[in-house]
Amino acid sequence: MKNFRARSILLFLLILAFLTGTVFFVYELAVNSENWALKPYNEHLGANSLSDAGKILDRNSIILAQSINSRRVYNEDEKLRKAVFHLVGDEDFNISTSIQNSLRAKLFGYNFLTGLDVPWFFKKTNDIALTVDSVLCKFAIEKMQNYKGALCIYNYKTGEILCVVSTPTLDILNVPLDVKTNKDYDGVYLNKAISGTYAPGSVFKIITATSAFENFDDADKIKFTCEGVKKINSEKITCMNNHSQETLKEAMKDSCNIFFGDLAIKLGKQKMTKTAELLNFNKQLKIDDFLNTERSVYDVSKASEAQLGWSGIGQANNTVNPVHLMTICGSIANDGLAIMPKILKDTTNLSLKQNLNLQNKNTQRYMSSETANKLKDIMFYTVEQTYISNYFENLKICAKTGTAEVGDGKKPHAWTTGFIDDETNPLAFTIIVENSGFGGRISAPIIGEILKKAVE
Amino acid sequence: MLEFIYSVFDAINFFLKPFLSILAFYVLTKSFLSLKDNRPQKSPLIMLKGKKSDNSIPVMYWENSIGRSKSSDIFLSDMTLSRDHAVLYRRKKGWFISDTDSKAGVIVNGKKIEKPKILNIDDEIKLGSDKFLIKNTTSYEDEYDLASVSKKIEISRSSGQKLLLLAVNFFHFCLAVQVLFSKIKKYKKNDANLITEYLSTNEIFDVFAPFLIVFVSSWIFFFISKFILGRKNFEIESIGIFLSGVGIILVGSEKLEDIYMQAFCFIIGFFGFCFLVFFMRNLENMSRLRSIVTIAAVLFFLLNLVLAKEYNGSKNWIMLGSVFIQPSEFVKIAFVFVGASTLDKLQTKKNLGGFILFSAFCIGCLFLMRDFGTACVFFVAFLVSSFMRSGSIRTVILSCSAAVMGAFIILNFKPYVAARFSVWQHVLENSQTGGYQQARALSYASSGGLLGIGCGNGSLRYIFAGTSDLMFPTIVEELGLIIGIVIILMIAFLAFFARNSSEKCRSTFYSISSCTAAAILVFQASLHIFGSTDVLPLTGVTLPFLSLGGSSMISTWGMLAFIKACDNRTYFYSKG
Repeated sequence: MKNFRARSILLFLLILAFLTGTVFFVYELAVNSENWALKPYNEHLGANSLSDAGKILDRNSIILAQSINSRRVYNEDEKLRKAVFHLVGDEDFNISTSIQNSLRAKLFGYNFLTGLDVPWFFKKTNDIALTVDSVLCKFAIEKMQNYKGALCIYNYKTGEILCVVSTPTLDILNVPLDVKTNKDYDGVYLNKAISGTYAPGSVFKIITATSAFENFDDADKIKFTCEGVKKINSEKITCMNNHSQETLKEAMKDSCNIFFGDLAIKLGKQKMTKTAELLNFNKQLKIDDFLNTERSVYDVSKASEAQLGWSGIGQANNTVNPVHLMTICGSIANDGLAIMPKILKDTTNLSLKQNLNLQNKNTQRYMSSETANKLKDIMFYTVEQTYISNYFENLKICAKTGTAEVGDGKKPHAWTTGFIDDETNPLAFTIIVENSGFGGRISAPIIGEILKKAVE
Repeated sequence: MLEFIYSVFDAINFFLKPFLSILAFYVLTKSFLSLKDNRPQKSPLIMLKGKKSDNSIPVMYWENSIGRSKSSDIFLSDMTLSRDHAVLYRRKKGWFISDTDSKAGVIVNGKKIEKPKILNIDDEIKLGSDKFLIKNTTSYEDEYDLASVSKKIEISRSSGQKLLLLAVNFFHFCLAVQVLFSKIKKYKKNDANLITEYLSTNEIFDVFAPFLIVFVSSWIFFFISKFILGRKNFEIESIGIFLSGVGIILVGSEKLEDIYMQAFCFIIGFFGFCFLVFFMRNLENMSRLRSIVTIAAVLFFLLNLVLAKEYNGSKNWIMLGSVFIQPSEFVKIAFVFVGASTLDKLQTKKNLGGFILFSAFCIGCLFLMRDFGTACVFFVAFLVSSFMRSGSIRTVILSCSAAVMGAFIILNFKPYVAARFSVWQHVLENSQTGGYQQARALSYASSGGLLGIGCGNGSLRYIFAGTSDLMFPTIVEELGLIIGIVIILMIAFLAFFARNSSEKCRSTFYSISSCTAAAILVFQASLHIFGSTDVLPLTGVTLPFLSLGGSSMISTWGMLAFIKACDNRTYFYSKG
């Protein structure tokens, strides 16, 4: 009988596996419980799952959403509700990046230890204050309401997002019945500024230029000749005009495709990819540790030479996220140092630990100070020398427009991205207007007016 | 007024919930500290005095193999002996020696034995070239501290056991109070007068009825066990009552009708438990009954295959009158029984052929019934049992490779099982389709926090199979994670206890059967808990004791009987 204890080893292993599995489950539960507990199908949350949740405030303490008498109540201004719809979110958690979805555990006062059944005398809900100026957002949505697209503005010195708007939008108190089927509401539950990506078009020339300045000492002396079309093997790169021989500065102003195509080819796949990844391409950007932007993609690993050229013009298979593009412009304005965007005001009642985390992570060097200053110069020249200067009046704007072809016979998407070169109004911005036609003619005047309002 | 009453409820519940968790921990520690007293026996039971070598060999176990194999309990390096020569064992009547097909045979007092022979003090046994005399241990008292050991076993802790059972009862009572609060809150939300109306209805009885059923039956069990059967200990039973009671009160809090069957099977289960423990005291019966039990199990399964109609994707039910019966649950008991054997039988019949055939038949039937969860349980029981019998790693490896092949076949040919695999670890993304149950299980389990939202307040119970296949998350939701963990520890400790007893119990029959039964409990609990919480890609297994299901309740008590039988103190007869 003496070896029977040894022979029961299988039982012992079984018990061990049982206990290990338990530890694993408890760990999973502890880590994910916020996410799991506050699912819309959890009936403990009732019909209105945010009935006891905390307030959401904007930077000037305007109440965007709050709970009164077990009901969620939103700002009384319809246009303002529409403007912050993607930020605040709905009660069915349709918008993944909204505050009511991603911070609902904090709003609700849920934690793993107490679960959902916390007696009222013990319950503590949290209010959340945002850096966003809801009045500016309202102004922005008025300008954008006829178009689909997104825009975002942030302070490139502090990282505070002032305005982020996505269209189409809707009034949370008046959700159209056909929201799921009506084509006009395609993408209504997506905050395109954070979760959308588009073909960058000519705005990508900023990144190609960055790579040139970072890699070649004489980048501003490089010249290429544009004859309207350039054949590379059996493929070709086309340009809008015949620009003849140009420097980088002139080429940026004219948005010459041939120049930047040649420049990308000259830089090669490796250098282009290195710069792009230094600028956070192929990565998600974190906003305050709880929101992730959709990743911008730059991938030329399988590209032919012509495709590499097209990638330098922003027309190959690469994509860019509006908030991400905004941080690139912000870094150019800020001597090459990118301040990561944030949306929670520091006074927001979050745990101290999380606040500390934010402080550490929120800067990243995108490029050298010299590169940034040269780009700033070029982007100012681009505005000053072209029609878009008309839209900005007295502001000292450095910017680049872009046109992203979408095919299918539809009008292209129009980009404008840049920043105000002004210590007192350190704002960087990105706007994309879908199917609005060529370059900056639509997007630049809209952002121009919003910036004027923002500076006020 | 209403607000005030609810606040009072909240306040009481606020203190009740941590108290419940503490009480559960108390039950856990109390019962297992008491079980831990069952220390390994350090002193010999009798001595063998060698004539030639003039050394005394202590006989340490109730069943001892004798031979020149090093793994023998009484190892004699004598080339004239067989490797497994004989078995020296104790039964109620006294000590026996049995020749296990040795070449040279066993000679007692000059006569070669054919059958097991009872031995008396000073009898002379000839094993190989040496002769041994049976001696009492009394003359060896200086070497071994005998007195203290025997005293330790004699101590009966009756008062402690009553206290333990009272703690279990009180735990159940507190659950019933929580149910009352939740019922009143649900009854009519807005009118304070209706609370008094509610309290005057019959429903107040309904709320406490499950508790009363468990309370009364637990004390009946206690007195039967103590005074009719003369059992000294009640810890294992207390744990069974604790777990079964939690299940009954939790399910009964919704509708009393739901638990009539469950409570009935709880009582049947306990009597079955008592019968099995009583029946197994006499090991001579066991080998005779083995073939009868085997045939009965085979017939039961065949009956199942013939009569079953498909229900929820499997055919493991038969209807008897208006009652559903799950034959596989009862065959589990038979399976454990057939797998076990006393040491003298193990040594004479070494091959596992018959048992492998029986196991293959059972598992095959379960496949035909499409009850893959239970098939896995049987397979694990087979592994544990066959390894304990043979100690052969080869059997285990062979069986495991067969099982892996079987698993692939299931995945390829049974789309329903494959569908569960496809959403594994992705249940939240598939919360309206394949991961419907698990997504809700996770969501509600995390709603409970450490202390739960109170018995009767849960929502998971309304999801399909919420009180059977999803019982564990329901418990975590309503009673909290701490009590969930206590339940896991109870099952794990029962298994540890079975393992610890496996060496010092009275026969290998008890050690094999208790380890197999414990393995079934632990493995079934694993499948249930990890399947329902998406740690493993499985569903459809009940949680022992707790899940709604009469057959399962009865068979779980059957498993407990094997563990009880393995406890040395269960069959309490004097030393001699």
